[in-house]
Amino acid sequence: MIQRLLPFLTLTILFVALAIASPHFLTDTNLSSVVRQTAVINIMALGMTLIIVSGGIDLSVGAILAMGGLLGTMALQKGVSIPLAVAIGIFTGMFWGFVNGFLTTRLRINPFIVTLGTLGIVRGLTLIISNGLPVHEIPARFSFLGEGNVLHVPFVLWILMACAVIVHVIMEHTKLGRYAFAIGSNPDAAFYAGIAVPFYITAVYAIGGMLTGLAGMIEASRLMTGQPTAGQGYELQAIAAVVIGGGSLRGGEGSVVGTLVGAFIMGLLANGSDLLGISPYVQQAIIGAVIILAVSFDELRKRRMSS
Amino acid sequence: MLLDLKSVQKHFGGVKALSDGNLTVNPGEVHLLMGENGAGKSTLMKIVAGIQRADAGEMIWRGEKADFRSPAEATANGIAMVHQECLLAPHLTVAENIFLGREPNKPGGWVNRREMEQSAARLLEEHHFPLQASWLVSRLSPAQKQLVEICRAIQHGSSLLIFDEPTSSLSESETHEVFRIVKTLRDRQMGVIYITHRLDELRSVGDRVTILRDGKTVHSCPLGELTTGELIRHMVGREVSAIYKREPVTPGAEMLRVDHLSRKGLLQDISLAVKAGEIVGLAGLIGAGRTELCRAIFGLDPIDSGEIRVAGTRIQIRTPGDAVAAGLALIPEDRQKSGLATGLPIQHNLTMASLGAISSFGFLNHAAEKSVTSEYVAKLRIRCSSGAQLAGRLSGGNQQKVVIAKWLARGAKVFLFDEPTRGIDVGAKVEVFEVMDQLARSGAAILMVSSELPELLQVADRILVMRQGRISGELPGRTTQEQIMRLAAMQEQT
Repeated sequence: MIQRLLPFLTLTILFVALAIASPHFLTDTNLSSVVRQTAVINIMALGMTLIIVSGGIDLSVGAILAMGGLLGTMALQKGVSIPLAVAIGIFTGMFWGFVNGFLTTRLRINPFIVTLGTLGIVRGLTLIISNGLPVHEIPARFSFLGEGNVLHVPFVLWILMACAVIVHVIMEHTKLGRYAFAIGSNPDAAFYAGIAVPFYITAVYAIGGMLTGLAGMIEASRLMTGQPTAGQGYELQAIAAVVIGGGSLRGGEGSVVGTLVGAFIMGLLANGSDLLGISPYVQQAIIGAVIILAVSFDELRKRRMSS
Repeated sequence: MLLDLKSVQKHFGGVKALSDGNLTVNPGEVHLLMGENGAGKSTLMKIVAGIQRADAGEMIWRGEKADFRSPAEATANGIAMVHQECLLAPHLTVAENIFLGREPNKPGGWVNRREMEQSAARLLEEHHFPLQASWLVSRLSPAQKQLVEICRAIQHGSSLLIFDEPTSSLSESETHEVFRIVKTLRDRQMGVIYITHRLDELRSVGDRVTILRDGKTVHSCPLGELTTGELIRHMVGREVSAIYKREPVTPGAEMLRVDHLSRKGLLQDISLAVKAGEIVGLAGLIGAGRTELCRAIFGLDPIDSGEIRVAGTRIQIRTPGDAVAAGLALIPEDRQKSGLATGLPIQHNLTMASLGAISSFGFLNHAAEKSVTSEYVAKLRIRCSSGAQLAGRLSGGNQQKVVIAKWLARGAKVFLFDEPTRGIDVGAKVEVFEVMDQLARSGAAILMVSSELPELLQVADRILVMRQGRISGELPGRTTQEQIMRLAAMQEQT
């Protein structure tokens, strides 16, 4: 039980330690910047949780995020309303999620390979569409999505919480979520039970894509640019958040709460290093070590449980 | 004396897997190790093989105290284990697997392939193993893979060989082959420990027997001193009738009908019918097409021609989803691989095929799920702490009941049981039979594949025998093993 709570414990200790170590940590500006910085990864990681639980993986989310943001901001540039532009971003993500799901289930290619391929395709297409140039002419009001406050709390935190609740409900209270666990835990048993495995896997990737598209629009709003090179390496951060939070790359394990905690641990580590003047080079190494530590503790716990 | 274990103990957390394990094995002896699942046989053997270490107790190996810290150490001291689940590298050849970890070297660390292949070939020939050194292990049958493991043990110069249920996945003729080999090992003064559940086969191979129950050695003696009934009594600690015999019921309407079903190279012109209340046995050797027939009916493999009717209606089955929708259920041969999600709770497994009934608009009704779970846990007497317990932590018999309960919850009417008692101990076997009997009595139609002929004779109302992808004959339930074997193995009957 103690080990199951380990991610929470780590997060709490980290939080308290930073509060003590740096006078700038517990300020409104700093905390809300942590929230804004982690929200993008966090929202992607929610989709990734569902995908990993179903036994899959999605390496293309960073590229999808860039294309979602780019197409959304291009729409804004053309005078489309903000909600519709956000919808375009989300739809773009959903489309590529659907493509990923379709390729893994119909052509039965390993999702690692499929999404490695779509990572290249989507990134390439994004650069072709934008000619490599960022989109700048965006209405000023669009910055509210990433930088605004509602009731003194960053708007992105509300969005993140809404997404978290939705994904949690999907995972724990719907057929789709239950099937994701079943497929991830034992795809054969799920198929033998008459579950339409390809359909549900495709749905899972599509949901992951939608969340990534939304994250892309938030990223664009924070930068106030449609950046074709946005989101590079984000896929690994999203996967890391899921894994630190107790998700298993073997499938069948993972939770929304765990992923949120995982993403915030990484966010605090980055923020804390900044505040304490630790170089970004060292930061990277620290986060890498944390991933390995978190997973080894989790493996130990499971081994003890099963023996 | 080769091996002597004295009051060996082993705990896992708070669970006592072994509290008093005693075992003495002599050279040139086949020693049967028996007991129900969970009795501690595997734990005891893992301690001998260095996979696990004892908490207390003594192990004397060739007259000296021993405590192996790793399988490598046990192997180096001459102990080898042939595992139930095959532990070979599938992409390597037979020779490479035999010499894995101790390849003959050339100077500079290069593997001397020619010498390796020649010695492997010599070894195979010497023991009359029907294998080629250059064959890829992934292409071998389960029986052939076991031969490779045995070869590896012989090559390593082992003097004690442990077999963990070697014949549970083998056909009758392959079983006899394994027996023949076990006997030659005994004749070479090797010690053999043989774990088995199959009461019918042990007389033909064992010399002495040791019986474990609840982590304790309860009896040890020459095999001839015990009757089968006494053996079972020692194993389960109570009287169990090994001779279960089902009382047939008057069959009702035809529930499953297969007409002229064919699948190229595997199934040829199969026709059969199963009525409500009937249990029809499907016998045959490994590779005769029994599992393939179940898979084809259930939509796991495509069929080239033929018709399938369920309750009189012709249906097209392309996927298991179609089969399930039509009221079919498959209890697969390999429970862990395709019957059960062992990492998920019992109740998730139990409702996996019937989530539609306990959800509305895609949202699950957790209360309904709980009540369905407790209903079937009680009905099938699944022994568990709660529905939230992980399915993988149940015993084999209880796991099988969860798989069956999954289909009951779905309301399936036609059940395809593929080797329903594999890896299940004696007491639980009878319980599985009773569940099948209740199913039939409540109007289900059952097709049951089994390689254990006594089992088919106990349970089935009539028996279909398959040979080389065809149904070679039908026998009444009160037939004999000899008649079944004749239909299963003979080319032409006279």
